[in-house]
Amino acid sequence: MDLEMVSYLSKLGKLNFTEEELKKAAEDMTSIINIMDTIKDFDIAYDPFADNKNVYLKDLRVDESEPSMETEKILQNSTNSNNCFVVPKVVE
Amino acid sequence: MDVTSLKISDMREMLDKKEISAAELTSEYIKRIKEFDSKIESYITVTEEIAMEQAKAAQAKIDKGEATALCGIPLAIKDNICTEGVKTTCASKMLENFIPPYNATVMEMLNSQGIVMLGKTSMDEFAMGGSTQTSAFKKTKNPFDINCIPGGSSGGSAACVSASLAAGALGSDTGGSIRQPASFCGVTGLKPTYGRVSRYGLVAFASSLDQIGPIAKNAHDCGIILNAVAGYDRHDGTASKKETADYTSKVGKDIKGMKIAVPHEFYDKGIDADVKASVLSAIEKYKEMGAEILECSMPSLKYAVAAYYLISSAEASSNLSRYDGIKYGHRSEKGDTFGELICNSRSEGFGEEVKRRILLGNYALSSGYYDAYYGKAMALKQKIVKEYADIFEKCDVILTPTAPSVAFEINENVTDPVKMYQADICTVTVNIASLPAISTPCGYNNSGMPIGMSIIGKHFDEATVIQMADAFEKQFKTAAPLIK
Repeated sequence: MDLEMVSYLSKLGKLNFTEEELKKAAEDMTSIINIMDTIKDFDIAYDPFADNKNVYLKDLRVDESEPSMETEKILQNSTNSNNCFVVPKVVE
Repeated sequence: MDVTSLKISDMREMLDKKEISAAELTSEYIKRIKEFDSKIESYITVTEEIAMEQAKAAQAKIDKGEATALCGIPLAIKDNICTEGVKTTCASKMLENFIPPYNATVMEMLNSQGIVMLGKTSMDEFAMGGSTQTSAFKKTKNPFDINCIPGGSSGGSAACVSASLAAGALGSDTGGSIRQPASFCGVTGLKPTYGRVSRYGLVAFASSLDQIGPIAKNAHDCGIILNAVAGYDRHDGTASKKETADYTSKVGKDIKGMKIAVPHEFYDKGIDADVKASVLSAIEKYKEMGAEILECSMPSLKYAVAAYYLISSAEASSNLSRYDGIKYGHRSEKGDTFGELICNSRSEGFGEEVKRRILLGNYALSSGYYDAYYGKAMALKQKIVKEYADIFEKCDVILTPTAPSVAFEINENVTDPVKMYQADICTVTVNIASLPAISTPCGYNNSGMPIGMSIIGKHFDEATVIQMADAFEKQFKTAAPLIK
């Protein structure tokens, strides 16, 4: 796998890599993809209907609103102020 | 008598007969943890105060004659299971200071039984690994040889049970993470059928494969813990509504006439000779007990590792997108914009293996690669499910090695992702097919390292899996590690 591809994948995953880390990741990913490529020998297509045959949509939980967790509890693991999550300024 | 060496079933009797109090039992474990865990490093957090309070509450129940099977029993919990008010780190810097505002359903169920929680155990970061060496905090050692890994990802849970630093533990299993460390540490670990135990409050890795299960000193104890945590949960859309059973009901029952299938691909090249010899010897024991052995085949096994890593990494890359440094988890000090803050938080918070899985998952799901990788992996999943169904038409259980080797030395393979991934060959198909399976010790190599075998059952037939493991355990002498 080339550096350009790894760089693209890291961008998708919102991850920063140094140049050295990127090279190491490309080497690792090349070896990993070699194993994954064994799957290409396998000549069969996925049948989505086979996986869904036991799905019964009528058995779902009733859609009823219920009290949610207290805001204080939800915010306890975050940087927050006035009952809101704090983020860097988004609008210029 | 050292009470920490006892099985849960024996402890129950002692507690009920008032031969020991819940507080005394808990104190014995805390004492052992203080003495030995600096060497084993199985716990990330020891919850001594909570444990002593819970022991007091359990004793009150026992005194009133209201004790249930796990009341007053000291257990350890893998650190990816949410415990209200107690840090749940997933062994990651990302969640180093995360204190869940709620309990996982399994914790609610265990607490209603009156268990004593000794602490939270180490694991591979976000359960991604088979060595517990990717933990950001405690790189757990194998109690049989502290120069070796305990396996993973539930390495802390398996090691602490093996070293008698807990009577039993909860782990989680996405591709073998309960069974492989149980095998390496010489204890018994059960991965229940997908949907049998609620995943609500289990930090998600690969949602279609993750399952919580018990690790204990024997199959009977695993059944006791499973009885406490199995069942439907409205908070988990994948939890099964199928009625639970008494998973200990077949313990001690004759296995004469039971049919055991042996797929030859699990015994081919890549399996160490001493592992193969021990598992084949176990098969002979089952024959002596009156079981019938059937040879069979699973042709898709050679593709299983690829299918597993593609599916699990695709799901992981999606599940881990929730870590943005804003709602909870590590927040970088650097980043002037919203985007920079997220990238910096994730880059600083995640370890190397987690990042690799995100890259692989993104690759498998990318435009132009999706059909060739993820689509093929899902097709293989269907094929593996079908192959298991065909085998189960002719047998009651399937018997395989749990891992290709015994526990290896720290740093031997752990830096080579390819070798680590390939070592999962014996366990991943069970998760792909959503089946229950138990690993129990069946031998020791020349260096005294434990060897495990896996008994795979039909969907929701954990009782038979436990029965078969129990039958073997009753005539096999297990060794306890000598920790100095």
